[in-house]
Amino acid sequence: MSGRPPFSKEVAIVGIGQTAYGKALPGTAWDLALEAILAALADAGLEPRDVDGICRFAPPFEPVSEPQLVRALGIPELRFFAESPLGGEALGAVLAHAAAAVTAGLARTVVVYRALSQSRGGRFGRADGRGPGGAGSGGAGADVVVPEEDNRSFAWPYGLMSPGQLFALWARRYAIVHGLTDEDLTRALGSIAITQRRYANNNPNAMMRDRKMGWDDYRRARMISEPLRLFDLCLENDGACAYVVTSAEVARTLRDDPVFVLSATQTLSPYREPMGIYVTGELLELFPPAAAERLFAEAGVGRGDIDVAEFYDATSYMPLRSLESYGFVPDGQAWRYVAEAGTGPDSPLPVNTHGGHLSEAYLHGMNGVLEAVRQLRGTAFNQVANAEIALVGAPAGSAMILAR
Amino acid sequence: MAVVPGMTELTAPYWEAAREKRLVVQECQSCGQVWHPPLPRCPHCHAADPGWRPVRGDGTVYTYTVVRHPTHYAFADAIPYVLAIVELAEGPRLVTAITGVPPEQVRAGQPVRAVFREVADGVTLPYFEPAPRDTEHGG
Repeated sequence: MSGRPPFSKEVAIVGIGQTAYGKALPGTAWDLALEAILAALADAGLEPRDVDGICRFAPPFEPVSEPQLVRALGIPELRFFAESPLGGEALGAVLAHAAAAVTAGLARTVVVYRALSQSRGGRFGRADGRGPGGAGSGGAGADVVVPEEDNRSFAWPYGLMSPGQLFALWARRYAIVHGLTDEDLTRALGSIAITQRRYANNNPNAMMRDRKMGWDDYRRARMISEPLRLFDLCLENDGACAYVVTSAEVARTLRDDPVFVLSATQTLSPYREPMGIYVTGELLELFPPAAAERLFAEAGVGRGDIDVAEFYDATSYMPLRSLESYGFVPDGQAWRYVAEAGTGPDSPLPVNTHGGHLSEAYLHGMNGVLEAVRQLRGTAFNQVANAEIALVGAPAGSAMILAR
Repeated sequence: MAVVPGMTELTAPYWEAAREKRLVVQECQSCGQVWHPPLPRCPHCHAADPGWRPVRGDGTVYTYTVVRHPTHYAFADAIPYVLAIVELAEGPRLVTAITGVPPEQVRAGQPVRAVFREVADGVTLPYFEPAPRDTEHGG
């Protein structure tokens, strides 16, 4: 790293908003995006006319466009808007872009959002015509032709088509490299899934708030793609999240508890895109160690300073490996760590305190950002006492460190 | 009905070789590096016009998963099936499926060799099955 850190508390999140989360909500993704953004602006004490920047997940993931929002919200003029590709890899990127725009003076008030209607737009767990990026056949009995896009044509013809299958390959590789038995891996993944369910049981917003889950429930659930069982996989749902970014100077005039951005990162290396095919390098190194070092160095904090972590969890394997790849637990030891110390309220590092994608809802990591903000404001349902610094991270090196 | 690869100028030589039951990877005509899947230029020395070279089709299982829930109707009758990443003896890895062995007998590091199966008219995919020596030793 050269020079001063890029953000160093000069930028803050001043508003958060969300819709309800559910299997089939009445509105379109557009409706949901508007509801979440208006809630975030109201939370910040701002009006749509104050917005001059938007950062979002790129299509095909984010279905609601900037022109749709400008029209429907009556935003007079956007002077900065940017899109970040590669799904969950956008999670840290959208904040990095928003914060960079604010510090560069390209925008003053930036909205970041993610809206999802899987009930209308297709389920991420389907790779055929029932999925948003799926490939259906041209007619009864016709072959399905996979375009040569992100190397999909070298994977889909074998039936490697969904995130759950890809992440099963990661999880199996972890067991291979570190010599885990099937039971070792089951205990590790189950510890994460069950702990997150307990958090969700205490979170009124969580889709699984009323659904208890113990070890018998977890183990008896059907295998989807070994070693991943049903409850190792995230929910599929509708909903939207939004937050508002502005300068620290403006933030202090709006509220007395802004959440400051210490660092925000994105990263991309060959064959390291999160939904790619992993033909070079060690599969476990999907989070490049250099990116984790940059995240902490730019924030000016160490691992021991993090009070709570919200890890992207399309599957239970990802928080497990994230504990290692972000440097909280040595490589190859997280499976034992989560089974012994755990990730619950009294553990050294509470993880996914809202229930995560497994048990609150799936919002491409954005609900984890909102949870981190609540934790730092002291308003979370599973509040970590005196939480001052939080990490939100996807497994492929897209992350942020926030502080109150 | 099958799920078949769309072919481009860049990728067609790979699939045309597979149709002839040959496995090939790209090779730089300048620095000799090999890689897969195909790229317009050598990623090491950036020379244009990479060539193709045959590989033996021997490799080992790098990681795998037994799929028990189909996510595409084309695979509804195929479950359970074994997806794998196989590391070729020559170095490159590729995504494939393991055939010719019960799913519960697939294991990491297992020696495998390429076999070819026509999945649609004129479309052949390379799959992998346990190498004969491995089978002799009890699978």
